[in-house]
Amino acid sequence: MSSNLPILLFLVPFVTGIAMPMLTAKRRSWCGPLAMAAQSLMVVLGIVNLRTVLSEGSIEYALGGWAAPLGIAWIDDPLAAVMVLTVSIIALLTLIYSGVVASSSLDKSMPYYTLILLLVSGLVGIVFAADLFNVFVFLEVVAISAYALVGAAGGSALVYAFRYLLLGSLGATLYLLGVAHLYAVTGTLNMADLAVRLPEIITSTAVAGGLIYIFLGLSIKMALIPLHGWLPDAYASAPGAVTPLLAGTVTKVSLVAWVRIEYSLIAPGIEVGHVPVLVLLEELGVIAALVGGALALIQTDLRRMFAYGGISHVGLILIGVSLGNPTGFAGGLFYLINDAFMQAALFMIAGAMVHYYGARSLNDLRSMQQRSPWLTGTLVIVAIAMVGLPPTGGFFGKWNIVLGALEAQHYLAAFAVVASTLLTLAYFVRILTNWFHQPQTADSEPLVVSRSLSFCLGFVSIAMIALGLLSDSIFEFLLQTGGGV
Amino acid sequence: MVELVQAWLQRPNFIVFVILFLWGVYIMAAHPNLVKKLIGLYIVQTSAIFFLVAFSAKDGATVPIILADSGAVDATLYANPLPHVLTVTAIVVQVATLGVSLALVSGIYRKFGSLDEEEILERVE
Repeated sequence: MSSNLPILLFLVPFVTGIAMPMLTAKRRSWCGPLAMAAQSLMVVLGIVNLRTVLSEGSIEYALGGWAAPLGIAWIDDPLAAVMVLTVSIIALLTLIYSGVVASSSLDKSMPYYTLILLLVSGLVGIVFAADLFNVFVFLEVVAISAYALVGAAGGSALVYAFRYLLLGSLGATLYLLGVAHLYAVTGTLNMADLAVRLPEIITSTAVAGGLIYIFLGLSIKMALIPLHGWLPDAYASAPGAVTPLLAGTVTKVSLVAWVRIEYSLIAPGIEVGHVPVLVLLEELGVIAALVGGALALIQTDLRRMFAYGGISHVGLILIGVSLGNPTGFAGGLFYLINDAFMQAALFMIAGAMVHYYGARSLNDLRSMQQRSPWLTGTLVIVAIAMVGLPPTGGFFGKWNIVLGALEAQHYLAAFAVVASTLLTLAYFVRILTNWFHQPQTADSEPLVVSRSLSFCLGFVSIAMIALGLLSDSIFEFLLQTGGGV
Repeated sequence: MVELVQAWLQRPNFIVFVILFLWGVYIMAAHPNLVKKLIGLYIVQTSAIFFLVAFSAKDGATVPIILADSGAVDATLYANPLPHVLTVTAIVVQVATLGVSLALVSGIYRKFGSLDEEEILERVE
């Protein structure tokens, strides 16, 4: 049983998603409970899987029983176990949350639940896959569901979903080209096998070209500046019932795919044409962290501001994992998990603001008459986590990235983390001053939010603090992924 | 320089790939019409598939079906099946993307009554 956990984790959302139209053909009201049940089962399996990996170490799963270089391998290591649990928890929260804010076009509709489940199965596939082509297929499963979910809001969202589709498909094609290059040179698609064969020929143009194509393709998917153009508009116009899952997981999981490739194929200190590859990636992260933070600061739309915040965090994580030492690597991965929860929390708040108050921009926050204590409390906790103050996980992630940068003597990277923290503080000050702006008539009762919304908000707040409190053991655990850096 | 050009000219299939790829990207970037952008995307995707097929082509090779009683196998006589499997999968992905994109385009046309990107963006603002 335990050796089949990876495939079970994939099959539960996949089969439920595919079978949804048939199972609920007669009774449309079953869609919600069915999706919720599948997702709860997945969370349970995710916890069991995490415990198994904790006690027995990584599991290698050979699909169909064909061993690695010939068959398709999945790897269930600490990073994958933690990511899968994170993804399934955020998906379950999004489903609960969708009951609160679902728009009329999405409300209780079968396609919504089917697409969410397919998206989740694709995310699980990317996290587990140890095979380059498998990653491509799952990237597209995720992407196609995401295009449809973004477009589901109708109106201007259709235009932004179409733009997302054009750029996303271009990214996928670039990734496929990269995979084709690496396959043409080495004759294998398995990452472990590639890691054995590549170091001898890493300086050849075909390998360098292939890796550049793969990186370009994935950086469109993970919205790394300057290839982030699709993200802010898509997330600002997508339906509220979808954005927590999209913002929390899709870009992060694409980043996980890149981390796997980078970690297994690019050893620290490798130079291609006198360019140290990891330092180059780190500088790209520096640019993304700073520019993303600065762009977030000048936004007036709440959701666009949060979207740019997420873009700058992608840069931070890329800095962490490209430092080439275990401290920075674990810090980056830990921050990635935190960021998934922070983005989900931010977009839950933003979606609830649109739903209850119709507030989209910062100025709308000022005229808000009664504030819900749940929303305010969660916003303050997310602000603390995003800025990175001690009790929350955000602090420990950033702290380790800075420590890693100092250890590698990359002072620019350390400066970029601190500077982006200041930028984050600056835009949260903007949000909070508007939020706490006292309206003229402050006599009404605070808004009572529905119980499922307060559950979701409470859960993500606790998760952000719990990640901080458990940070030491999670670091140790994640380091088993990056043990050999 | 002359050697470089000669080296390129000896690989006509890769030149075709480069031309197709750049042509597709140009159409995607330059044409305001959404359906034409899709055609550009399709050409880009086709160029990637062309690349896969181009490097896996093999003279005088046959289909890789090995009979049980054929004894020792000479791999040079058979085509490598894997790039072709990748190609078929990539085509399936491409078809799925095309389906979703056409649905989005028809939705945009119903909503905005135009396929011209600039007109649509004006109406969105």
